[in-house]
Amino acid sequence: MSYLTHASRAEAFTLDHERTSWHDETLWFVRQKRDKAVYAVPEFQELRNLASAIKDHTLSRLDEYLAQFEAAAQANGVRVHWAANAAEHNAIVLDIIRARGATRVVKSKSMLTEECHLNPYLIKEGIEVIDTDLGERIIQMRDEPPSHIVLPAIHLKKEDVGATFFKHLGTAEGLTDPQQLTEAARQHLRAKFLAGEVALTGVNFAIAETGSVVVCTNEGNADLGASLAPVHVASMGIEKLVPRLSDLGVFTRLLARSATGQPVTTYTSHYTKPVEGREMHIIIVDNGRTQQLGRPDFRASLKCIRCGACMNTCPVYRRSGGHSYDFTVPGPIGSILSPNIDLKKHSTLPFASTLCGSCTDVCPVKIDIHVQLYKWRQIVSEANHLPTAKKLGLKFMGRLLASPTAFKVSGMLGRKGLRLLPYGLTHNKTVNAWAIARELPEPPKQSFREWYAQQAQPAT
Amino acid sequence: MSTARDRILAAARANKPAETPLPTVPDFWGDNSLERFSTVLASIGGEVAQLASLSDLETTVHKLWPEAKLIASSLFTPTLRIDQHTPTDVLADVDLAVLPVELGVAENGAVWLPEANMLHRALPTVTQHLALVLDERCLVATMHQAYARLPDGPGGYGMFVAGPSKTADIEQSLVIGAHGARSLVVLVY
Ligand code: SF4
Repeated sequence: MSYLTHASRAEAFTLDHERTSWHDETLWFVRQKRDKAVYAVPEFQELRNLASAIKDHTLSRLDEYLAQFEAAAQANGVRVHWAANAAEHNAIVLDIIRARGATRVVKSKSMLTEECHLNPYLIKEGIEVIDTDLGERIIQMRDEPPSHIVLPAIHLKKEDVGATFFKHLGTAEGLTDPQQLTEAARQHLRAKFLAGEVALTGVNFAIAETGSVVVCTNEGNADLGASLAPVHVASMGIEKLVPRLSDLGVFTRLLARSATGQPVTTYTSHYTKPVEGREMHIIIVDNGRTQQLGRPDFRASLKCIRCGACMNTCPVYRRSGGHSYDFTVPGPIGSILSPNIDLKKHSTLPFASTLCGSCTDVCPVKIDIHVQLYKWRQIVSEANHLPTAKKLGLKFMGRLLASPTAFKVSGMLGRKGLRLLPYGLTHNKTVNAWAIARELPEPPKQSFREWYAQQAQPAT
Repeated sequence: MSTARDRILAAARANKPAETPLPTVPDFWGDNSLERFSTVLASIGGEVAQLASLSDLETTVHKLWPEAKLIASSLFTPTLRIDQHTPTDVLADVDLAVLPVELGVAENGAVWLPEANMLHRALPTVTQHLALVLDERCLVATMHQAYARLPDGPGGYGMFVAGPSKTADIEQSLVIGAHGARSLVVLVY
């Protein structure tokens, strides 16, 4: 089976130049807000070191902390479930819903349930699932996946949202005012919250010592859902753990500042015990994570707190859009997580990067993202998943750069060739993809070596 | 057949790296002034109002929210009585909730609202407007100090609330009043 490459999917996005530029600038603006918030905290770099070390430590004792967390949660009256993969996770959720005879589910943001394709599964089983985060509700109506982990509808303009609400919520045609559109969604979703029978949420942090899960939102949708519905189901990946309640001091100071430049999210909610007569469930999901834990070069990717900063700063993400990655988590972090899940399918993602390292610079938990991108490239190439043109090109360049003579001769040929060959050939888009939107430089008359040899001659 | 639990724990045990130390988080001191708290809260859409004393609360509330008809509160005789068992359709009508908070965080404008102070878990988000009452002496500088001072750990349920509910999901334009409270005032005494 052959898959579309990142570049070919990005082409669809970049067709609309104006929108591409808008997307680029908007995300860069978010990155700048992040910088402003970060520079205002003198100890920010120290907090990054601490966060990184806390996560490293947690991963190094992950089995123990998982067991500790489970015991604490159970002592709190929470029912804990374990799912090795997406299918097991989805079946557990359905069982909980069925056991209550429920059909109306309200859901707040969770990249994990997105990863498990929970919504289509539940809908097929006759359950009404309503995404309650505004951005997620918009894309749910449009039947699209999120294009960003924090800003799920960032690929859309207000005109798109207006058209979507006109169709699904009956707002006035041509309405584009964000305030009025948000108010319409508030009214629509409030009815859903009030009628919700089961609330599903994700988890930002799980505290081993107390058995609590912490959910961070700006809209308040997780709290409204979970505190009105009689049943709350929280789904978490095994990597969400931190050992101590006090560790949250570090992570809550980093998360929102890194994500959107806010000092903290509006709601940082700690769910520890269910109200009497109500149910709380936690589903702990593996789905490839223990396998990633076993890869020394890539296990640090499990430290990710899903702030999205690496996306906002990435010159490739900003200009290719989240959908071009065709993976639940797009951008630089998605490009190092996805090959673990399916190397062949996602083989072009580690190449969707300039390796500029900006992602690594902003990552609040100091994941060496660009180093991992580089390492995945080696693995993709060893597994023979490179496209033929790239494979041959790299092989050729490898030989060329290994031989000083070949390098010298080819340099000469290149300088001559570029001058003599017709433009249509040197800039042929099939042969030279690099030249699709770029001009080759004017070839110099002589090489550095020739110039140097001249300088070395004594002046006459 | 082994359970998913056993398999996940066994895989985590087998694949985890060599143990690294758990760092001690230092107490980063900082500014815990009311000025700082007020400035930050204003920057995220909230507001601080001064209360001469706790006994002024009820009159202040009526002055600041003359329109509010159904007011829920644990601090004075409310116009609407709310408790853990209040049905959803009654909760849905609350105009204003006035609740005490345990501490305020100057660096980010957040306040700690534990379940015990909420009357009903949904009240802080289902109410149209939210007023939170804070003793000025309970201001701390950072989240580290806040977590160290939580009176009852995380309790059964508790939240840091920083400003009113908001979203920027439509073209990154900030809109106040997404699903939770449309406005938030911290009344400081
Ligand atoms: S990899 Fe780092 S920067 Fe990217 S989303 Fe995760 S925590 Fe944020």
